[in-house]
Amino acid sequence: MAAGPPPSASEAYRPNRFVSLPAELDPSTYDVSLEKRRAEAERMAIRARLKRQYQLQLNNPNPPAVIEDPALLRWAYARTENVYPTFRPTPKTSFLGVVFAIGPILFWAAVFKADRDRKEKLIKEGKYERPFSVF
Amino acid sequence: SGLPKDLMPGPYPRTPEERAAAAKKYNMRVEDYEPYPDDGFGYGDYPKLPDKSLHERDPWYQWDQPDMRHNWGEPMHWDFDMYIRNRVDTSPTPVPWHTMRKHFLIFLSTMLIMFCFGEIYPSYRPVGPKQYPFNDLYLERGGDPNKEPPVVTHYEI
Repeated sequence: MAAGPPPSASEAYRPNRFVSLPAELDPSTYDVSLEKRRAEAERMAIRARLKRQYQLQLNNPNPPAVIEDPALLRWAYARTENVYPTFRPTPKTSFLGVVFAIGPILFWAAVFKADRDRKEKLIKEGKYERPFSVF
Repeated sequence: SGLPKDLMPGPYPRTPEERAAAAKKYNMRVEDYEPYPDDGFGYGDYPKLPDKSLHERDPWYQWDQPDMRHNWGEPMHWDFDMYIRNRVDTSPTPVPWHTMRKHFLIFLSTMLIMFCFGEIYPSYRPVGPKQYPFNDLYLERGGDPNKEPPVVTHYEI
């Protein structure tokens, strides 16, 4: 029984979580509507304004010591100081906190306790063979 | 520390005015601005940018920071330090990702099954017990040199 024809490239390249689609198979490449071009023009205007600000600071005869990037400052602030104020205990966060924070501690405590109890039982019965024994 | 409070990230935007203000703060279009869902995870109003690594950005464009392929003031991805060019690469693969995963899993599972099979049913050439010379190492094992060692023969004629 022969298999069907092999899947075409667009069928094989299903969108997935880890890599992007190639440009030829991405439908947004073939989207030439006016809305898209207007959006691109607006984005380019924002980019040009930011570039101008940066170049003015860069080519300043008395440049500042460090040209701070507000995007970088915002990124660092968001990842460090803005997490606690915006955190909220929800069922999902509580569940994840239990699983990833409390779970491993309890799990490893149980594992070590069981291992030690087993070893203690063997020692008490006299059956424990000491590794690395010098005798 | 450098910027005033209203230019720093804040809580999740609830009203459309807050969204517009946040988009302006992050130098994005209002239509492009999409914050992370308000699940209480600590993202606040930080924009959710597409998960594309820096490998995919144009290498020939004159970026303000060429090594980071980043322009001054452009909003950075939350996982920016993961998507740098030394780390995770999300550029399109020559082979479809699902095909790669399928081939890898077939190979891995075949090898694991064969190894487990070999552990359960090992196969090797016939072996016998090891034979030692000098009457089964009588003197080396602490036998009395004055007594006659017991004669050990490993063959039958």
